[in-house]
Amino acid sequence: MREEVEVLIIGAGISGLAIAYSLQKRGVKDILILDESYIGAGSTGRCATGIRASFTSKEHVVLMKHSIDLWKKYAAGELGRAGLYYDQSGYVWVATRDESAEFFEKLAKLHNSLGVNTKIIGIDELKELVPPMKVDGVAGAMFDPTAGKSYPFDTIFAFLKLVKGRGAEVVTRVKVTKILTSSGKVTGVEVKGGKIIKAPTVVVAAGSGSRELLGSVGAKLPIENIPRHALITEPYKEAFKPLVIDWDTPGVPYIVQSKEGGFFMGRDVEEKPELPLTSQRIDFMPKAVKPLTKFFPWLRNIRVLRYWVGYYVTTPDHHPVYGPVKEVEGLYIAAGYSGHGYMMGPITGELLAEWILNGKPHIPEAERLTLNRFEKGALIKELAVVG
Amino acid sequence: MGEEVRKHPIIICRCRDVTLDDVLKAIDEGCEDLECIKRRLGLGMGPCQGRTCIPLVIGIMARRLGKKPDELLIPKPRAPVTPIPVSLLLKSVDVKVEGEGGDENA
Ligand SMILES: Cc1cc2nc3c(=O)[nH]c(=O)nc-3n(C[C@H](O)[C@H](O)[C@H](O)COP(=O)(O)OP(=O)(O)OC[C@H]3O[C@@H](n4cnc5c(N)ncnc54)[C@H](O)[C@@H]3O)c2cc1C
Ligand code: FES
Repeated sequence: MREEVEVLIIGAGISGLAIAYSLQKRGVKDILILDESYIGAGSTGRCATGIRASFTSKEHVVLMKHSIDLWKKYAAGELGRAGLYYDQSGYVWVATRDESAEFFEKLAKLHNSLGVNTKIIGIDELKELVPPMKVDGVAGAMFDPTAGKSYPFDTIFAFLKLVKGRGAEVVTRVKVTKILTSSGKVTGVEVKGGKIIKAPTVVVAAGSGSRELLGSVGAKLPIENIPRHALITEPYKEAFKPLVIDWDTPGVPYIVQSKEGGFFMGRDVEEKPELPLTSQRIDFMPKAVKPLTKFFPWLRNIRVLRYWVGYYVTTPDHHPVYGPVKEVEGLYIAAGYSGHGYMMGPITGELLAEWILNGKPHIPEAERLTLNRFEKGALIKELAVVG
Repeated sequence: MGEEVRKHPIIICRCRDVTLDDVLKAIDEGCEDLECIKRRLGLGMGPCQGRTCIPLVIGIMARRLGKKPDELLIPKPRAPVTPIPVSLLLKSVDVKVEGEGGDENA
C-alpha cells in the first residue's frame, strides 16, 4: 500500500468509487481508496437499486436529474462495457385515498415545472404498466418514466475495474481510525494498527462510518444510521418492469423485480438508530409483504429467499452532506444520503471532483448541501409536504 | 476426463448456473474473498444459500490465491435459512403495524 498519496478516499461504496472515477477523468492519477470491509459491504450492496428524479425538494430533483443523465451516459460508454447499466423502467406510485391522489397531481405539477415528466395515469395505464396487479381500491396513480433501476454490484465492479485500470489503488479490509491534521490542514490518516498514510486531500465517503471519522477532527456530522430492512423472493419470469410504491400504507412499502427475477420488497418499520446490522427482525418479513398482497395476491404463493439489513445514513433534512469541511483544509465529505445515495452516485462523483479541483461545483443547488448548513440553520426545505 | 465431458461447462453453483470458468475469471479479475465473488456472480445466493457451491468455491479460491479458507470471509447465511412461502410468513406473526410514519424513500 502507498504511504503517501495525492488524494485518499475513505470508503469503496458507490460514492468513493464514483469520486475516484470523476477525479481521474480530470487528470488526477495518484488516488488511494481504503475500505474497512469488502467492496460493496456498506449500504451500496444492500440497497433497493432504485433511481429517480421525482422528489419533493428542488435540490433533490435537480441533482437526481443530472445523475440520471450521467447514468445513461455511463451505461452507454466504457462503464457500460464493464457491466454498468440503467434500466429505465419507471416508478409507479399508487394511492388508495382520494387526498393522496390529489397530492399526486400537485407533485406531478411540481416535477413538471422542474423538467421531470412525471404524470398522472388512469387505471387502464396502470394495468398496462403492471399487468399482474389487482387494482381494486386504487384511488389514483402516478408514473415517472425517467426513473429506473440498476444492480449495485454490476455498477461498483464496473467502476472498480476502470478506476483500478487507470492506476488508483483500492485496498480492502483496512480501517481508517483517525484523520490527521496540522495547523488546520489535513495531513493524512491513521489506520488500524497505527500505520500512517500521508495525503494533502482526504475524502470521507464512508457511509455509516463517516460521523466517527469527522469526529476525529472535531467536526460534527449530524447523521443517524437507521437500520432499514429488505427481502428478496425466489426468481420468477418477468412480471412487471417498474418499481411500485404503495403510498398510503404507513412505512410506504415498495416492490420491484430484480434482473434475475426475484421480487425485492422493502418497507420502513420503526427502528432505533445505530442498531447493529446483525440484529435481525424476522417480523419485518410479513410486515413488508402483507400490505403488498392486497395488490399482488399471488405473492402469497411465492417464497422468500433472503432478508437483510442496511443503514439509511440519515441527516436532519434528509439531504446529503457534500463538499469541504471548513474546519480542516483539504478535507471533504460525501455522506448522509438518507436512503438515496445509490442513485446519486454518478453526480456525487462529479460534484466532489469539482469541489476538490475547482473549489466549487457547477450546479448551484449542490452548494446548499455543505456541512455548515446545519450550523447556519439553513436546512433544505421540501417544496411539497408529504402526507 | 474424456473429450465429451470437457466440452461441457463445469457447473459450480447449480442454483444460479455459475461455471468453473466464471469463478476462475472473477478470481483473476480481482475477487479475493467469498463476499466479493458471491456478489459478483450471484453464486451462493440461490435457494440453497450456497450449501452446495460455497464449499467448492472455498477450495478453488484457497488453491488459486494461496490463502487459508478462514482468510476468505465466508458469508453468513441469511434468514430465512430455507425459502419460505409468503402465505406461511403471514400466519407466523401478528402483522398489524400502526402509525409507523415513513418518509418517501426507496
Ligand atoms: C434497504 C435499503 C434500500 C435502499 N434503497 C435505495 C434505492 O433504491 N436507491 C438509492 O439511491 N439508495 C438506496 N439506499 C441508500 C443507498 O444504499 C446509500 O445511500 C448508498 O449506497 C451510499 O453509498 P456510499 O458509497 O456513500 O456508502 P456505503 O455504500 O455505505 O460505503 C461506505 C463504505 O465505507 C466503508 N467504511 C466505513 N467506515 C470506514 C472506515 N473508518 N475506514 C475504512 N472504510 C470505512 C464501509 O465499509 C463501506 O464500504 C438504500 C439503502 C438501504 C439500506
Ligand atoms: S448451489 Fe449455489 S446457491 Fe445453491
